[in-house]
Amino acid sequence: MSSLPIIQKMLVEEFGLTAEQVQPESKLDELGVDSLATVEFMFMLEDKFKLKMTGEPVPIKTVGDIAREVDIMVQQQGITLDDSK
Amino acid sequence: MAQSADFPRRVVVTGVGAVTPLGDTAEALVLALEAGRSGVRPLENSWAGRLNSPLAAPVLTPVESRFTKLRRLTLDRVAQLALLAGGEALQQAGLDLTGEAGLDCGLFWGTGMGGATTLEQAYMESFLDPAARPRPTTIVAFMANGSTGQLGIEFKIRGPSFTFSSACSSSAVAVGEAFLAVRSGRVSTALAGGSEALLTLGVMKAWESLQTLARPVADAPETSCRPFSKDRSGFILGEGAGALVLEEESSARARGATILAEIIGYGNTTDAGHITQPDAGGQSRAIQQALRQAGLTPSQVDAINAHGTGTVVGDAVETQALKMVFGARAGQIPVSATKALHGHLMGASGAVEMVAALGALRRRTVPPTAHWTTADPACDLDYVTEGARSLPQLDVIMSNSFGFGGNNAVLIARRYSVVAP
Repeated sequence: MSSLPIIQKMLVEEFGLTAEQVQPESKLDELGVDSLATVEFMFMLEDKFKLKMTGEPVPIKTVGDIAREVDIMVQQQGITLDDSK
Repeated sequence: MAQSADFPRRVVVTGVGAVTPLGDTAEALVLALEAGRSGVRPLENSWAGRLNSPLAAPVLTPVESRFTKLRRLTLDRVAQLALLAGGEALQQAGLDLTGEAGLDCGLFWGTGMGGATTLEQAYMESFLDPAARPRPTTIVAFMANGSTGQLGIEFKIRGPSFTFSSACSSSAVAVGEAFLAVRSGRVSTALAGGSEALLTLGVMKAWESLQTLARPVADAPETSCRPFSKDRSGFILGEGAGALVLEEESSARARGATILAEIIGYGNTTDAGHITQPDAGGQSRAIQQALRQAGLTPSQVDAINAHGTGTVVGDAVETQALKMVFGARAGQIPVSATKALHGHLMGASGAVEMVAALGALRRRTVPPTAHWTTADPACDLDYVTEGARSLPQLDVIMSNSFGFGGNNAVLIARRYSVVAP
């Protein structure tokens, strides 16, 4: 299962963006999500889902990029995303 | 850059802004002070019970809600207050700095502590949980120049920028240095002021230990700060921001701006004596400097906004300094201490009180020194204890700000007239 819907929901909740804004191809910097905010968001994801970022810098430019990165980690780390918590 | 002109240039104020315990505009501040309304109250939060006294002067307006969640990531409360006050001042001035004008505008901002809330949060998490990671935006939110940088970003102010930290005089210094920069032609306009937001458990407990906070008056806590009164026992911590737009006179007139007042003098000295004990010598030298720069004799000051924190020593020393400069006339100048009502806003005090002083100048009515009850032989001037006072001849007002570390900053403003008196 793709993490995209969960990530979209979190972007709306945490950053006050609208559902229309957080399309997979939406560019983060155009949404006002700069590099600092992206790191902040990745920290939130790590804390919420007990994920561990690989530490390898990956180019994250769109909402879809975040989902792709998280999907890889979920698979590698054998985690199930559960946003009911 | 400024073109050749007569130097020094005249410096006028074309916009003011304030977010304080007395409201979220400069106008609200001035009116509340005149009415003698106090912003001091018991704090109501999860940790107030751990303080010896929960009294403070908090900003009640919902500051956070004025910013998007995304924007708030890098904005400590101190920067949020700065943006609100700065925005109000720029709006009143009618200055759009997004174009070329922003290149010739300086930024002069004061704060005692910077982002206290952010820093305390990061410390708390780090100490409590060995695995905790402070938020990635912690550094940029708590750094002392965070507000300054955010003001630049928000309003596109791209000239020189400075952050001043001299405790309680920080933003008076910021306004004074902005005045000098406009006066000398370094910049044509300046946004100057200061912000403070340090009502956190750790900071408040540290202040309690210093023994400078007012004893709560049980049946009337809002009157606990009593400057210049015999029964004074200290100040009440507050938070807020004040901002002024300073502008070179001819360009302000050329663009048809409403001129609120003229700043004519600034003095700044260092006691070089003790880190907390004020010194009448250092204070009086700052007052004399400001008078000299303004080209005024002591007989030409019509009203004084005192530093007047309400500490036993501080108020007596300030009284002494005023007597050293004004001599026998000291007793005839109305002296107002507004901290009784808005609390001690630390780094924001100087700018907020300058906004209050300019309001007094405009309305020709000085605010009272509230909550005064009993005469003290060591404080024997005219402290406007009866309530706001109309002064039909009020043309020149002086505002004092003295900070821990021994910094003394004094500003003098005059009602504006096209031909300087």
